[in-house]
Amino acid sequence: MRNRQARVLRFYGEPPTGWHDREVLGRIVVFEGPDGAGRSTHIRLIKEWLEDMGLPAVDTGLTRSDLAGRGIDRAKTGHRLDPVTLNLFYATDFCDRLERVILPSARAGMVVLADRYFYSLIARACVRGMPREWMDGLYSFAPIPDKVIFLDVDVEQLLPRTLHGGSLDYWESGQDFLKGNDPHSTYIAYQTDMIRELRELAGIHDFDVVDARGPISQTFESIRGRVQDVIADIA
Amino acid sequence: MPPGPFPGRLFVVEGIDGSGKSTQLDLLHKWLTSRGVLVVSSEWNSSPIVRGTTRRGKRRRLFSPMTFSLIHCADLANRVYEQILPALQAGATVLADRYIYTAFARDAARGVNPVWLRHLYAFAPKPTMAFYFDVPLPEAIRRIEDGRARLKFYEAGMDLGLSSDLNRSFQAFQGMIQTEYERMLDEFGLISIDASDPPTEQQHRVRELVEPHVGGALKIQDGGLTDALRSSGLTGRYLDTLGARR
Repeated sequence: MRNRQARVLRFYGEPPTGWHDREVLGRIVVFEGPDGAGRSTHIRLIKEWLEDMGLPAVDTGLTRSDLAGRGIDRAKTGHRLDPVTLNLFYATDFCDRLERVILPSARAGMVVLADRYFYSLIARACVRGMPREWMDGLYSFAPIPDKVIFLDVDVEQLLPRTLHGGSLDYWESGQDFLKGNDPHSTYIAYQTDMIRELRELAGIHDFDVVDARGPISQTFESIRGRVQDVIADIA
Repeated sequence: MPPGPFPGRLFVVEGIDGSGKSTQLDLLHKWLTSRGVLVVSSEWNSSPIVRGTTRRGKRRRLFSPMTFSLIHCADLANRVYEQILPALQAGATVLADRYIYTAFARDAARGVNPVWLRHLYAFAPKPTMAFYFDVPLPEAIRRIEDGRARLKFYEAGMDLGLSSDLNRSFQAFQGMIQTEYERMLDEFGLISIDASDPPTEQQHRVRELVEPHVGGALKIQDGGLTDALRSSGLTGRYLDTLGARR
C-alpha cells in the first residue's frame, strides 16, 4: 500500500446524479471482444493474479444487476421486443451496476474488471439499425475506463468456441432481426458485423488491442502486461 | 429518431397527483367514444415487459434517480412501439395518462440532468396536444389525503431524504415537481387548464380544444353489429362476456 494514487474519475458526459467529481483509488479495466473471444476466461485469470498480489478485484458483466438482470432475461424470452426498449433495459442494468458495484468498488481502491462495457451494447444496437448518436447520449453518464482491453479475433475462431459451449444462441446469432432460418449463416453474418463495429469503436475509444487468436497462455501474457501498466502505481 | 408524420392524434394529460387529470381524461375518452372515435388509451407504467422490474425496484428500494428514470423510459418505449405508434399510424386517437413530461418533471426534481432526459425520450412521438392540469399545491394535497391509501416510498420522494415523515416528504416533492412542470409550459407548449375550476367547466374547455382535431379521425367499426341488434330487436346482453372468456 505504498504511494496510493487517487485520481478524479472522468466521464463521457455528465456523471450520474449524485456523483460530484469524486476521487477514486481503484482502477476500471474493461474487457471487450465478440462472443467467444475468451473474455470471461481472461478475467478469471487476471482476477486471481491481482488477488495473489494482494490487490482486491471485483468483476461485473452485462445483465448481472440486482435490479434488471432477471427482467432482461425474461424480456428476451418473449415473442417481441423492440430495440429501443431492449437498449433502455440494458442501460438500466448498466447504470445499476455502475452505481452499486463499479463506482463504489473503484472508490474503495479495488480493481474493477468489467466483462464488456457499453461499447458492446452500442455495437449490438448499431448493427440492428439504432442511431449511434442516441446510443452515445444514452451512455454519456458512464466513466471513461482506465483501460479497455479488446480481445481481437476473427469470426473463424469464434464458431468452434461457441459451439463448444452448446448451441448457437438466438440473440448471439442475430436471429431476432436477420432473415433466414439457418442459424449458422446468420451467426456468421451477425458476428462479422459485430466484429466490424467493435473494431470501429476500438479506434474511436482508443482500445488496447490484444491479438486473441493464439493460445490462451500467450494472450494472457499480453493482457497481464497491459493490466500491469494500469495498476503500477497502486499495487 | 422521432417517428415521422402519422395520421392519428395523441392527447396527453399531465399534472401533479391530485390535479384531477385522470378524471378529465376518462371523461374525454367516454365523449370521444360516444362520437364514434376509435380511442386507444395508454397508462404510465403499464408495459407488461418492463412492469415486473419496476415493481421489483420499488419493493426492494433498489432505485437511484438514474435507474428510476431509465426504467420508466423503457416502459414508455415499449408502449410507444407496441401500442401508441401502431395506433397513431392506423389513424386512431391515443389518450395518454402521463407522458414524457411526467418524466421530465419528476426526474429533474430528483436531480437528473434535463438535457440527458430530453435526449433519452427523443423516440416519443410529439403529442397533438398536451394538457397541464394546474392545481394549487394545498388543494392537490387535500384531495390526495381524502381519497387515498398510504403513500408509497418513491411516490412520496422518500429517496430524496427531504423529510423522514411520509406526508411531509410527499408535499415537498410534489412542490418540486410542480415547479418543474411550470418551467416546461412554454418549452413544450403545454396547455394549462385551471384545475381548481369545477370539473364540468374543465371538461368543456378540453373538449372545445380537442374537437377541431378529431374531425377526420378513425372511427369505431363494429362491422354492422349495432344494425344487426337493432333490426332483430336484441340488446346484446351477452356480448360483454366475449372478452371475459378470452
